[in-house]
Amino acid sequence: MTTTSLPPQPKPNLDTEGFWQATKSGQLSICRCQECQLWLQPPLERCRQCGATTRFEAVSGKGSIYSFVVVRHGAVPGYLDTLPYVVAIIELDEQVGLRLPTRLLDVAPETVEIGQRVAVQLVDLPGGEFRVACFRQASD
Amino acid sequence: MSRKPVICGIGRTAFSRNSERTTLAQAAEAARTAITDAGMLATDIDGVACFAMGDSAPGMAVAHAVGIDDLNWNMELFGGGYFATSVVANAGMAVQTGACDAVLVFRSLNGRSGKRYGRADGGGTKNGSAATSRTAMQVGGERQFAAPHGYMTPPQWLALWCRQHQHRYGSSCEDLGQIAITQRQHAENNPHAVQRGHIDMQDYLAGRWINEPFRVFDCALEVDGAVAMIVTTEERARDLKQTPVSVVAHAEYTGHGGLMDQWPDYTTMYSEKAGPLLWQRAGIKPNDVDIACMYDCFTYTVMATMEGFGLCQRGEVGSFFAAGRATYGGEVVVNPHGGLLSEGYIHGLNHTFEAVLQLRNQAEKRQVEGATTALVTAGAGPFGGGMILRAGV
Repeated sequence: MTTTSLPPQPKPNLDTEGFWQATKSGQLSICRCQECQLWLQPPLERCRQCGATTRFEAVSGKGSIYSFVVVRHGAVPGYLDTLPYVVAIIELDEQVGLRLPTRLLDVAPETVEIGQRVAVQLVDLPGGEFRVACFRQASD
Repeated sequence: MSRKPVICGIGRTAFSRNSERTTLAQAAEAARTAITDAGMLATDIDGVACFAMGDSAPGMAVAHAVGIDDLNWNMELFGGGYFATSVVANAGMAVQTGACDAVLVFRSLNGRSGKRYGRADGGGTKNGSAATSRTAMQVGGERQFAAPHGYMTPPQWLALWCRQHQHRYGSSCEDLGQIAITQRQHAENNPHAVQRGHIDMQDYLAGRWINEPFRVFDCALEVDGAVAMIVTTEERARDLKQTPVSVVAHAEYTGHGGLMDQWPDYTTMYSEKAGPLLWQRAGIKPNDVDIACMYDCFTYTVMATMEGFGLCQRGEVGSFFAAGRATYGGEVVVNPHGGLLSEGYIHGLNHTFEAVLQLRNQAEKRQVEGATTALVTAGAGPFGGGMILRAGV
């Protein structure tokens, strides 16, 4: 990665900053309703199902690959010199349909399959103060 | 007196990789051509409707530029190709309710030389490119979770959706290739198309990867240009120059807040819901259409939405194209102009232009004989719409 090409930085707001505070402190946390217990991604100030208050709660960081793409054409700053890379949508174990977009670390693209188990690894994002939730292929 | 909506005039500029013109200049040319085509005067127009994503001239500026001084209705939608049929249908509702009598509808963009949808930073030749930017982009909204991973462009999103379809239904790259090849064959007879060179399966498979499973031939061709049309009432169109084309029905659908990541099933799109609604509203069946201008930002969009609109069985789109059922002499001619893949990406409004041309029997070498009914679709993923157009009133 060159200094002339930094990856996009998240721009948190009052509803999302808890996610980024958690990753910074070493934990993947997801917004959750304190009443009906529904997990909410993207985060909301109030639950979309029952309207109750929400807060960020730690998750196991384990899940499965719902789908993935092997990016071979550089179109995003910060990733122009690191082709190819694999982006996946992870379905977290905590709730059916609870999905998080991510990048798979240290992976040979041809070994990736839908349904594979993965585990989170927090990684510093170059160019700022943020840590992002990447994932690795896992055995369980 | 019938106020049923019709399209009575169409216009467009040349499509190119570098227009060297403003979006205002191109919109004005397309608008003037459409007004003349209809046999109307600028002063006959009292409404304007357009859609854009901060990349085009405002509707009222375009109206002013062609000599329309008095607007009774002005609708500017902020959004992408999913509005390409809505913008026409909403103009239709405006004339039907009497909010106005004749609407100029347009889309104008420098989609190649200006803001490019396939690039995260929007960099075309005029905007500079990401590689030279020294400050990082900041991304808010729901995309703040994806963008830091280098995931933020449509050709990445839909390739990822396509992978799930391949996994579930065994659809293949060759199936996508059949769509690209058929549409290119159609473009060979379209002088307005930017890409007209013949391709076969070998060429398709040799195409460079963009985002696996998409090759370059799976992606819409970003171009500069403008398309415009005039929507008025059946009554008003009666003494105009062209055979009017009726806007018979429209159905649109947005699900799951338009959130790409959270949409429950990537093998389906908005069309699962909009399709059945459209056929019910139009009172016809999928096999009643002669032409289908399917929104084709990517080949996979054609695949998933042909299934959703019921033109094909699930998982059979590739063989449907391979057997010639989607071309001349088949069941329905899909994208006779070559579509966004080969004619160019005027954000989908060029699909309605083509459908009108075909239904007026003016498509010359690529005319679908006896075509009376067309389906035009717009959008991909969680949002989009479908519209039925019919020749005459």
